[in-house]
Amino acid sequence: MSGIRIKNLRKSFGTYTALHGIDLQVPNGTLLALLGPSGCGKSTTLQLLAGFEAPTEGEIWADDVLLSSARGVLPPEKRGISLVFQNYAVWPHKTVAENVAFGLAIRRLPKAEIAERLDRTLRTVRLEALRDRYPSELSGGQQQRVALARALAVEPRILLLDEPLSNLDAHLREEMRFEIRQVHDLLGLTTVYVTHDQSEALVTADRIAVMKSGHLQQLGSPEDIFERPSNAFVATFIGANNELAGTSEGNGAIRVGGHVLTAPDRSGAAHGGTVSLCVRPSQVRLFGADQAPDAEGCNVLSGTVQRSAYLGEYRDVLVDLGSGRTLRAFIPPAQSFAPGSVVTALLPIGSCQILGPAA
Amino acid sequence: MGVISTDSPDSAAAATARPAMARVPLARTVVFGAVALLLFLLVVLPFGWVLNNSFHDDITGAWTLGNYTRIFQSVDLLEPLFNSLLLAVATAVIAVGIGVPLAWLVSRTDLPFRRTIRVLTMTAFVTPSFIGATGWILLAAPNSGWLNALWRSLAGAEAGPLLNIYSMTGAIFICGIYTVPYSFTMVSSALDEMAVELEDAAATLGSGTLRTMLSITIPLVTPAVIASFILSFIQGLTLFGVPAFLLTPTGIPVVTTKLAEFYQLFPPEIYMAAAYCMPLLLVTAMLFWMRRRILGRKQFITISGKSRAGRRIALGAARWPAFGAALLLPLVSVFLPYAALLLVSLTRAWGQGLSWENLSLHWYWWALFGNSETHTAIVNSLLFSTFAATLCVMLGTVVAYIVERRMVFGASLFGAVTTVPIIIPGIVMSVGFFAAYTRAPLNLYGTPLLLVAAFAATFLPIAYAHGGSILKGIGPELERAARSLGAGEGRTFLSITIPLMGGGLLSGWFLVFIPIIRELSVAVFLITPKTNVMTTLIYNAKDGGNYEAVCAMSVLLLLITLALVAAAGPLTRLTTVRRTSRKSGRKTAPAEGVLPT
Repeated sequence: MSGIRIKNLRKSFGTYTALHGIDLQVPNGTLLALLGPSGCGKSTTLQLLAGFEAPTEGEIWADDVLLSSARGVLPPEKRGISLVFQNYAVWPHKTVAENVAFGLAIRRLPKAEIAERLDRTLRTVRLEALRDRYPSELSGGQQQRVALARALAVEPRILLLDEPLSNLDAHLREEMRFEIRQVHDLLGLTTVYVTHDQSEALVTADRIAVMKSGHLQQLGSPEDIFERPSNAFVATFIGANNELAGTSEGNGAIRVGGHVLTAPDRSGAAHGGTVSLCVRPSQVRLFGADQAPDAEGCNVLSGTVQRSAYLGEYRDVLVDLGSGRTLRAFIPPAQSFAPGSVVTALLPIGSCQILGPAA
Repeated sequence: MGVISTDSPDSAAAATARPAMARVPLARTVVFGAVALLLFLLVVLPFGWVLNNSFHDDITGAWTLGNYTRIFQSVDLLEPLFNSLLLAVATAVIAVGIGVPLAWLVSRTDLPFRRTIRVLTMTAFVTPSFIGATGWILLAAPNSGWLNALWRSLAGAEAGPLLNIYSMTGAIFICGIYTVPYSFTMVSSALDEMAVELEDAAATLGSGTLRTMLSITIPLVTPAVIASFILSFIQGLTLFGVPAFLLTPTGIPVVTTKLAEFYQLFPPEIYMAAAYCMPLLLVTAMLFWMRRRILGRKQFITISGKSRAGRRIALGAARWPAFGAALLLPLVSVFLPYAALLLVSLTRAWGQGLSWENLSLHWYWWALFGNSETHTAIVNSLLFSTFAATLCVMLGTVVAYIVERRMVFGASLFGAVTTVPIIIPGIVMSVGFFAAYTRAPLNLYGTPLLLVAAFAATFLPIAYAHGGSILKGIGPELERAARSLGAGEGRTFLSITIPLMGGGLLSGWFLVFIPIIRELSVAVFLITPKTNVMTTLIYNAKDGGNYEAVCAMSVLLLLITLALVAAAGPLTRLTTVRRTSRKSGRKTAPAEGVLPT
């Protein structure tokens, strides 16, 4: 199999272990998003891939070349891996064209070829008009495109993106997501994209690796990750989620406080094990005390409305279930409950999942 | 793309596979080797020889502790220690006592002509104190001094001299006034850097001006005040020129002049001198350790002319009296001695008094062209300082880079060695280089290289700290970007790091060049007639009685120094401006969505 292969990658800094043995494959031509909260080890993984850090254990291979192992590291300049930094790292003393052409000059390409590839790359990221500008004369989004162009111009076999959009404002960020995906589709580069923003990962990636505390939680397609999360952490990290902690009753049942609820069980936990019932707020339906809904195929819970927020397209209602448990529901805006009113919540069994805790 | 390893990742061999290219590149080995060798030659070896020599007997050459026991048994050797401590304490008290109020006036109040006071204080800063002493000899020598002559003309010829610069009081006065700028600079930059909001926050909570000053401002600058006291103390302890000019003639010894005396004995007691360096080193090392504890890693204060934008405390009726008081320091450290030096240097023969016929540029012409000795010294000063500053900045920058980017295991050891000279007084440096390089196999005595090396070594800590502070401002990802695009470590350093350091490197060069060209004590045991420099020439000529020539040389040295200080700022700014944004007025393509810069 070709592409990037990461085998049992461990990295410790002194007594702190940033990565606890990660295994990952990135087939050639795919875009993998490394997704997780800060401190999950995604940036460490990227630094190891780029060759700026040496692994404590494990190996990194690109096709048939061993890039890193505990015994040695191929220096960054010899890896053919381009890296785009979170703060762009565009050189302030070089113009846009000089920035982009730097890697080409290093490779001692003929002048004509440098000029040709420079033009082509600038066109790809739509920077032709700004080629003689200095970075201080560019906006954040333009600097980001310079960084991308500089990384692409050398035609790397692997492209690494380290939170490339986190310094941009919200509007630009949304636009650049599609742009990065577009460039990827155009060039078909094997790409690893580090982000803590789940929607960024969903939009851009072919495959998503969710990480937490140095452990890989799940590797799969965006659909897999959203619809079939491997554990409660993944379910909560991707999209809005309700997580009702309880203990397994076996056979697709979970005890949450005084209730026994049923759902497809994907936790693999034994009877009595710690599990959670997860359900998206958009799947929860609420009814007033005076209504008698059809509860067929649903878990039924009751509680009092704690707060309700009108968000235009839906209402975000928080229901107090008692004993410290709460449930969020996104309900049609036409429906409305005053805080304090008693409600019945229906959780369709098919939309619920019983999941184990994070790895 | 490097060497391709053909190991199959899934084979058993893969478990212990090693990337084929993990060798240490040759260039890296060469650079680290060269840095280590230079540091060894410039710092470790001279210091090692001083230490070694201090345990040997001057006559027999045998191992002994006798040199050390002699220090504590002989009143002759204890007295200079006490005198040095007295001079140091008094210098520090004066420096802080004048420097701190002056800094407060300039940084925090509506004192008139604040910028002028700042500039004049900086002028005192760059004036070598031994030249100030020369000026004051003209002003306050017991018989011939002008101020004394003026006094006699007022009080009558039979009145005794008013001032005697050839005394401990005189030396304390000179050391003090030329050390004030150190405390002034440290405290005023602490005041300048302090966020206005900190004081404003107190004001909004109902605290008055005085209360704010007592409970916010003063506590915040206390570390700077203590650190400047320590630095001034070290100045007073380690200065060589001023005591040599003012105390040696009256027979009051201090440690630094006593060291010179060992070299003038016949036969010279060089090993004894080495041992006698140790008390001095011990005290400076301890003081620098204390200062580091107080200031953290912030060892050097950059001299900036920026003044604070915030509100200033209104002095009211005290405004002009305060201005008068603030002018006292420039008066005694700049105006009076400069005027004396200038006048004497412009007279054909000083004894004939001031008259138009006696005025001439003769001694300048003589110093520059007429006399081969002075001519050589001027050329040497400029050449040696240029080479030494360049070597110093290059080495300091490379070491700072290695340390800052932790490029090699034990990088911090490089940093530590590079910082060692900061605790070594100039005169001890001179002893060390004399000990290390006046013997086979590296006998450099009489060569320019010896002086260049000694100068570079002395100011290495400044270049290193300056380089480090610039590098801290350059994100490592700017370099990593170059690495990931295929540039090696050396290429990255040369094409990314160095251009980004740009103006900072130049300002570092000036920061080193200026103290080198005015340095006396480091050169004192190392010069020969062929390798004489301006400072040592002035030092050696002062006893010859040719005061007109000494003054002309002093004025020339001052002019060179001041011209460099004046040029440093604009030159640095020029190189800095070029690297950030180039005139956007020039033909730029119209671009969509360009933010104003």
